Amino acid sequence: MKAMVAFLELCGLLAFAPRPAQGADWKMDPAGSKLEFVATFEKTAAPGVFKEFDARLRFDPDKPAGGGLDVTVKVTSADMNIADANKEIRGKDWFDYAAFPQAEFRSTDLRRIEGNRYVAHGTLLLKGVKQPVEVPFTWTYSADGAVMEGELTVKRGAFGIGAGEWAASNVIGADVKVKFKVKLRKAG
Amino acid sequence: MLRNASDSWGAPAKLFHWVTAALILAQIALGVMAASWRVSPTKIELFFWHKSTGMLILALVALRLLWRLANPPPEFPSGIAAWERAAARLSHLLLYALMIALPVTGWIVNSASNVPFRIFWLIPLPAIVAPDEPTADLVALVHGGLFVLLALVLVAHTGAALRHHFVKRNTVLVRMLPGTWRTP
Repeated sequence: MKAMVAFLELCGLLAFAPRPAQGADWKMDPAGSKLEFVATFEKTAAPGVFKEFDARLRFDPDKPAGGGLDVTVKVTSADMNIADANKEIRGKDWFDYAAFPQAEFRSTDLRRIEGNRYVAHGTLLLKGVKQPVEVPFTWTYSADGAVMEGELTVKRGAFGIGAGEWAASNVIGADVKVKFKVKLRKAG
Repeated sequence: MLRNASDSWGAPAKLFHWVTAALILAQIALGVMAASWRVSPTKIELFFWHKSTGMLILALVALRLLWRLANPPPEFPSGIAAWERAAARLSHLLLYALMIALPVTGWIVNSASNVPFRIFWLIPLPAIVAPDEPTADLVALVHGGLFVLLALVLVAHTGAALRHHFVKRNTVLVRMLPGTWRTP
């Protein structure tokens, strides 16, 4: 009997719980999207791209609270256009393709900074390590959807990217800039 | 005495010679170590210094050739056979050619392998060929072959200088030494 009451109360609570503000659902258009990273090599920029990634977004630019951002990156699609580097980054000391082929960023905390500038507070899961990360972005409507664009700096050491002797930052820098341009279309 | 005389080298020519000699010896050590080191930050450092030194040598050789054009080298001392003159001219020509060809092939390897690089962290080295792995591998082989040729010519050059001094007892070696040396 007690269990029954509890169950009914729970149903009541759920029924009357305020629904989160539902923004539109957005899907990424891979053709117009780009995810780049810029490492440094002897203090000189060494750019690369992740060729395959996907972003899903629930977002109302006027009411960012209650939205969510979900990005998955196929780490194994990394390409630095340097044959030796591409061979090297597969290994255990770097991305460890075999054990961690995918990275994820999840945020359910989207805030407006000002104008069309926003920030997504979330968690980046990379090489098995979860770290809180802030992803600032701008939001621009286009003819057939919207474009989300931004850049952030990630400390590779926090994720064990470049382990052992590679952890030293004098040859390969500690900071990696991540730049993204995501073209979105309204889903459904 | 700055300019070369008919029987001696001027100070700038001597400076070019010995600075280049020191850089080439360091460069050979750096290159051999960089190529044979296991993949590690140290290997990248060795390559960084090898590439930077190579570009420095290339710049010095350009200046040196300009200086040489404006300053004809001293004449051979007496008692040098025609074959010796020919061998000297050929080995000097080869040394200049290699001091250009080695940095240039290294530059091509760096461009083809698309490794970002700034000379001594300062001057970005522009690419002279498009990124392409087979090109990088092939030209790296040529670079290695030219290095072997350089090593042989350096042995001949050094051996000839010592022979001039100790066997033929002429001024060829001493007139390239720093300071003023009186003709015996």
